[in-house]
Amino acid sequence: MLVGLTWLKDYVDVQLTAKDLADKLTMAGLEVDEIKKVGPSFSGVVVAKIISVGPHPSADRLSLCDVHDGKDLYRIVCGAKNIAPGNIVPLAKVGAVIPGGYTIKSSVLRGEKSDGMLCSEAELEIGIDATGIMQLSPDLVLGQPLEEALNLKDTVLDVNVTPNRPDCLSMIGIAREVAALTGRKIKWPAVRIHEKAPDIHSVTSVTIIDSDLCPRYTARVIKNIAIAPSPRWMRLRLESAGLRSINNIVDITNFVMLETGQPLHAFDFRFLEEGRIVVRRSLENEEFISLDGKIRTLPADTVLICDGIKPVAIGGIMGGLNSEVKEDTQTVLLESAYFRPTSIRSSSRKLGMSTDAAFRFERGIDPDGVVRALDRAAQLMVDLSGGSICKNYIDEYPRKISSAGDIPLRLDRIRKIIGTKIAARDVLKILRRLDMTVKPEGKGRYLVTPPTCRVDLEREIDLIEEIVRLYGYDRVPVTLPDVSVNELDVIARLDMEERLRQLLTGSGFTEIVNYSFGTPSAADMLSLPATDERRNTVRIKNPLGEELSTMRTNLIYGLLDTAKRNFNNGAFDLKLFEIGRIFLHRREGELPEEKTMIAGLITGKIRDDFWNSEQTVDFYTLKGALENIFCDFKIQNCRYAATTDESFLHPGKACHIVLYETVIGAVGEIHPDVLEKLDIRNTIYVFEMNIDILSRVCEQNSLSFNEVSKFPAVIRDAAFVIPDPMEAEQMIDIVLSQMEELLENVSIFDVYKGKGIPEGTKSLGLRFSYRANDRTLTDAEASAVHDRIVQKTVNVTGAKLRS
Amino acid sequence: MMKELQQLESDALSELSTATSEEQVLTVKTKYLGRKGLLTGLLRNISRVPDEEKPLFGKRCNELKNSLNARLDQAIEQYTSRNKEQALFKEKIDVTLPGRSVNCGRVHPVVQIRREICSVFSSFGFSIVEGPEIELDYYNFEALNIPKDHPARDMQDTFYIDENIVLRTHTSPVQIRVMEKIKPPLRILSPGKVYRRDSDVSHTPMFHQIEGLLVDKNVTFGDLKGILSAFLKKIFGSSTMLRFRPSFFPFTEPSAEVDIRCVMCGGKGCRVCGQSGWLEILGSGMVDPAVFRNVDYDPDEYSGFAFGLGLERIAMLKYGISDIRLFFENDIRFLKQF
Repeated sequence: MLVGLTWLKDYVDVQLTAKDLADKLTMAGLEVDEIKKVGPSFSGVVVAKIISVGPHPSADRLSLCDVHDGKDLYRIVCGAKNIAPGNIVPLAKVGAVIPGGYTIKSSVLRGEKSDGMLCSEAELEIGIDATGIMQLSPDLVLGQPLEEALNLKDTVLDVNVTPNRPDCLSMIGIAREVAALTGRKIKWPAVRIHEKAPDIHSVTSVTIIDSDLCPRYTARVIKNIAIAPSPRWMRLRLESAGLRSINNIVDITNFVMLETGQPLHAFDFRFLEEGRIVVRRSLENEEFISLDGKIRTLPADTVLICDGIKPVAIGGIMGGLNSEVKEDTQTVLLESAYFRPTSIRSSSRKLGMSTDAAFRFERGIDPDGVVRALDRAAQLMVDLSGGSICKNYIDEYPRKISSAGDIPLRLDRIRKIIGTKIAARDVLKILRRLDMTVKPEGKGRYLVTPPTCRVDLEREIDLIEEIVRLYGYDRVPVTLPDVSVNELDVIARLDMEERLRQLLTGSGFTEIVNYSFGTPSAADMLSLPATDERRNTVRIKNPLGEELSTMRTNLIYGLLDTAKRNFNNGAFDLKLFEIGRIFLHRREGELPEEKTMIAGLITGKIRDDFWNSEQTVDFYTLKGALENIFCDFKIQNCRYAATTDESFLHPGKACHIVLYETVIGAVGEIHPDVLEKLDIRNTIYVFEMNIDILSRVCEQNSLSFNEVSKFPAVIRDAAFVIPDPMEAEQMIDIVLSQMEELLENVSIFDVYKGKGIPEGTKSLGLRFSYRANDRTLTDAEASAVHDRIVQKTVNVTGAKLRS
Repeated sequence: MMKELQQLESDALSELSTATSEEQVLTVKTKYLGRKGLLTGLLRNISRVPDEEKPLFGKRCNELKNSLNARLDQAIEQYTSRNKEQALFKEKIDVTLPGRSVNCGRVHPVVQIRREICSVFSSFGFSIVEGPEIELDYYNFEALNIPKDHPARDMQDTFYIDENIVLRTHTSPVQIRVMEKIKPPLRILSPGKVYRRDSDVSHTPMFHQIEGLLVDKNVTFGDLKGILSAFLKKIFGSSTMLRFRPSFFPFTEPSAEVDIRCVMCGGKGCRVCGQSGWLEILGSGMVDPAVFRNVDYDPDEYSGFAFGLGLERIAMLKYGISDIRLFFENDIRFLKQF
């Protein structure tokens, strides 16, 4: 809501500076977003008096004027006809700037020097009259800057009115608030209705068919109006509120809406067939052309204002093209009504029409202000357009508009809510300043009736807020609540997420956060099969674009997209991870399944500084990071099972992460086909796993301690030549399954393929560590066990020993 | 003989003083103290010393032998340690080359802010709770006193899945879900992602919020001021100036917006604070009785306050970031700065 101070001062005395007033309003809940200085788009124009007007020696159409600004005499060449000695006029002196950015210079016109320019209204953009020099009032002070003399400068406050305060969507509403805050009185605009035309009931009628949508409809008819430009005072006020002046009649309806908060509409009476108004609800898909010329298909249950035959306005939202006020309008029917807020809101949303009127109706207008606004506008039509008002007005009010009535207020309740006692005297003073009627109801109890414009006040708590708001939030002492804690269970997964962050950042991964939205094409880009659950996407009905129209079902696509964007910025060595939820559609009308996942991506060189290593990441770099995590979480039963099930992963370089027989995720290289679809040329490795499951497993994990031997170990190596497809883990399993007590540990120290061993095989070097807890092993003892293990392994696997 | 002894001492010392390497010192040592050295020679000729002088001569010889030996060993020690030093010096490396670290990654800046805020409230006894990001309209709006077709819905532009399911526009629905299950006293904090249909320099369709709720007997607006002041001073520094000003949220009454003195201009007025000298930091208020009734809490018995803040906004102020979209572009050059 834009509040021009000049206009505001019509209704309340303001002694404060704009800044102080803005602070006061802000601290009372009417936040001032901005203080704007507005003024004319000219400078250097002053009030001057024409002393003499004489003919130009060499141009019939020009005259020579001597003009005085209270100090000096200026010779001006002027082309206008409407000037005479004694006229008070605007003089743009040499150096003045007039609208359009023109600077006035001393010039010679047909041989005569001119030291400035006399201006018309239009030239100064004060008005639209371009026919002659603007005539000013004779009581202005000569030499005074014109913007000061005409009060063209103003300060405008941009007030952010919260949805609960529709009463402040008007100048009088803001003025009431200012009055309450500064202890002043409101100056209501005087309304004196002179009814000179025939009785309205002989001219028209109003029938409300659907009073649930429109409980009250009032109307006046004004005859013999003359459409004309509005006077300057009104134009300036409308402009300060951000509205463009159209003509006197339309301006009056807007002016009164801004003044009182009551939206009004003026119909050209000649276009109302049968000369009457009927209010009804729309039928489904009824069509109507609103006054902006657009064809609207109306949703059902929209309030329609009709004449005897057809709709003429969408009630409370916008008038119709078929009945709008035109240049030659002579009689108008002025509407001031109350529409049900939820109905207006529902219709305006469905129609996508958020008009000033709808904005006010849907928040709730003052049910008792309807007639006051009607009379105010009617009277202005008499004053500004020469119209005459028909006798009486129509007030169809078939359904009472409910108001809160008396609200009980307990003083001790105020104290209980805010924590400090406010004296009864102060409470009463605040309520009265807000125009509330207060009746005592026993000790510390009152019945309070708010003014009808305060539709937000219905309950005791609403009154308490009003009291503390005006008392001042800053005056409420700071306290701390009593300690009484109801400690809730800690969410284990959150601790795990924090630990994952520490481990992964320690391994060089940087955390990203992507939107939870995703493109519907993600599933295709990842080549997910038709049966994959990650195709069960949740769709957004009103997305910000096709690219953001579904909820993600995996984190990998987002990581790939992020990598690609970073490649485009020249960053090719990346280690990224994300922790976040994915969303899987379950059933129509049901909340989707949400899973918390972690995913990571690596690509490029292991390190990005050149001097140490040029080594690039591979599958094992990523697997190592995961092993690190499981090691920290003390998970020993994690297995990596090669898989070809993940369609977006390289079939030869992918595995599932399996915990206690449950697949919790996958790790592998991105399939070359997927990279091609994404137009990525770099090799990329990713993993993704479900943290909900991981944290549940870890909660069950328990540790036990093993005695550390004081005796040395004996180390033996052996290299086995085995078929290439055989997995290392299988060999280890075979070794361990022999359950040799002295075998402390077996590890892989070498994997070799190539020269010296047959094609299709590989050499797997295993290092065995033997140790006893109670003695130093002899060589012979160790060898006996070692030979047994190696022999058995060879027997089971058919491997050849490599010497 | 005594004279010869003196001569020998001064010769030995002067030779030592001209020696310039370990080798030369060793030569001096052999020459004087060796088995065939000059001092040994002198001692061997002790017979030539008159008997009464023999004890003294012998004593002097020994003294000289010991002192020379010490001086020479000291000199040798000096040269060996200097040699070692020189050898080590040749192994000198360039310590300014980068180390072989794993190039430590970073935690996302918004997550860092969330950690910081959660830890402050944990110290005030708040527990962290969670709820779904895709929510029923009931929990996101209606239970929070925002009926359908209410203008307050304009405050939060909403993504819809269907008529009754929305992407949550705030984390407040978590509070309703918790209150439905647990009776007061209650101190909870719900951090998480929220979604609003909005996109420009200061709005992204997804962002992060933290909301808190404290319910008990006798909780007052003064307590709200106390807890939130303590929190903001921990985050922005103990000298931070605050103000509480009236505002409107459908689920609290009285409602308060909390501002801090602008961290950019210190209150003089600048672009960041829109010339007001204040920055809006969080929304708060006393829980509206209507909300309590929706979860079967008796508003005459219990009172409480709720608050909420946007994490990106805090991060932007703390780090001087002017475009919120940077948080979700995930440009590694941006992320590596935190």
